[in-house]
Amino acid sequence: MSRLGAFLQDVGDTLLRMVPHRAPTGLVPVGRPGRDAPVLVTGNYTLTVRRLRRALAGHDVWLLCADSRGINVWCASGGGHFTHHDVIAAMRSSRLEQRVDHREVVLPQLCATGVERRRIEEATGFLARWGPARLEDLPAFLARGRRVVQRERVMRFPLGERLEMAAAWGWVLLAIALGLAWGLVGAAAAVAVGVAVVTAVAGLYAAVPRAHLAGRGRWAVFAGFAALGAALGSVTLVLGQATGVAGLLSVVAAPFAVVALLGLDFEGTTPWYASALAEVGRAEVELVEDRCSGAAACVQVCPRGVLAMDGRRRKVRIAEPGACIRCAACIVQCPEDALRFRFDDGRVAEATTIRRTRLNMLGKRTVELRKREE
Amino acid sequence: MGSFAWMRVLESSAERYDRGIRWLSRGRMDEVYRDVAEAATSGRAAARVLDIGCGTGGLTLACAARGARVVGIDRNAGMLAVARAKPLPAGARGTVRWLELGAAEIEDAFVPGSFDAVVACLAFSEMTDDEQGYVLEVARTRLVAGGRLILADEVRPRQAWQRAWHAVRRWPVAGLAYLLTQTGTRPVEGLPERVRHAGFVEVREERRWGDAFAIVYSRAPAATGLGAVPPEAARP
Repeated sequence: MSRLGAFLQDVGDTLLRMVPHRAPTGLVPVGRPGRDAPVLVTGNYTLTVRRLRRALAGHDVWLLCADSRGINVWCASGGGHFTHHDVIAAMRSSRLEQRVDHREVVLPQLCATGVERRRIEEATGFLARWGPARLEDLPAFLARGRRVVQRERVMRFPLGERLEMAAAWGWVLLAIALGLAWGLVGAAAAVAVGVAVVTAVAGLYAAVPRAHLAGRGRWAVFAGFAALGAALGSVTLVLGQATGVAGLLSVVAAPFAVVALLGLDFEGTTPWYASALAEVGRAEVELVEDRCSGAAACVQVCPRGVLAMDGRRRKVRIAEPGACIRCAACIVQCPEDALRFRFDDGRVAEATTIRRTRLNMLGKRTVELRKREE
Repeated sequence: MGSFAWMRVLESSAERYDRGIRWLSRGRMDEVYRDVAEAATSGRAAARVLDIGCGTGGLTLACAARGARVVGIDRNAGMLAVARAKPLPAGARGTVRWLELGAAEIEDAFVPGSFDAVVACLAFSEMTDDEQGYVLEVARTRLVAGGRLILADEVRPRQAWQRAWHAVRRWPVAGLAYLLTQTGTRPVEGLPERVRHAGFVEVREERRWGDAFAIVYSRAPAATGLGAVPPEAARP
């Protein structure tokens, strides 16, 4: 495929990333992998598969594309669309054990919210190892002999990706805002609304990670970006010689509406923020120390570096509770069920419950809860 | 039948699934459960039946109502929880066991020749082509010689005008389902051929509902149910 073709595909997939894009499933060679080449598991989201191929250029590896329903690994795992059952099905239906001599697969760390590593090992006899959180760290991971270092476990959310998310959300909102404004107040005001919307959305995504988003401060940040969008929109409107109360009102109101809509739960769309709407958003991860065996499975999958090993006591400790996004990867992977959610009213959700539930698009996780008995 | 794409919305809340599927099929899904269960159990008392992708258990319980000893497997724990909460139909002579298990994992839980019939409703359209082939091969080995395989699923109508009409009715629902759940269903393609390739015999397809739904009936070979067709030869 030409570079232009690949670029256009990337743009298309990025703008339409809210709907699934299915890549073919199965065992895919990158380079010229032999029977000893590493097997990297991924979902069948087209954008991810293309980026993986690019990141792994010059390496000889197998990609095992399991069925994540055309959704990226993080969203699919959190939403229950990508589980260990899918990885086991992909390993078996691709006859992996007949095509490689070793018995090891590398799982993407961001699938840890829904893919239980131990269940894959039990069913297939393969060792399942966590890879890094981000695909650009894969070459270093492979060069190191398939070993992850701590900094590769922690997610980053660089400016380029924030703008990508802004574009994915922004064009849909822009289309709605433009359509409404055009019909209500004419072309000039519609353009102004467009400018305001784009500014507000891009500004929000570009700058919000630097702001602390807890409590009321969060709404102040949203209001700030909405005001910025409104101000720029108004300037555009005046410059465009289109005046009138309705036009001005629409320009002022549109960014507020857009940012409010976006702010509903845009945080939950990334492995960086906690979902504001999720029921578990009101809960904290709690460590039951008596149960902890120091296996550190939780440390290996936390995308925010919340958990750390206390080497002296051979127990895990919750080192950075403020950074937790409540994705539950640590709870799902703990072999001793030593982690759980504790709600502010005293109820708890144990690992066995969390493994049975998934987040839906509105961040709702239906969990059976019980009062803590002790 | 409007569209099974809506199933994905329903699955996001397993408790709503039964009501929704009944509403979507205008009550006709119960007919499918009944017909599939009848074909799986007829002429054999206390038939051992495996229901792959049993969901909330509609087909599983229909088989149990006809005296079968049924195992319902599904990978979705939420759907299974709803299934488990359902009582056996009044007067049912059979038994039911529920297992959280993927279709490609049946070899882990059952030895060869464990079942007289394997059934599945709206489950194969959830699998990749490779997985369908693999599951069919393993299912054949888990059946007794001459055991029955009955699959019911959404399919693409054969006539162009029927496909167009189906697409017109399907897209609005599919679009909404995408927005709400980020996923959708796809009609299963070439199922009778795949069933034949996996070594089943007497394959017969029955179409319903504007040609957009099919029930595929077949049997494991009578002579040797186990290993009658080597896996390599069976791959489509």
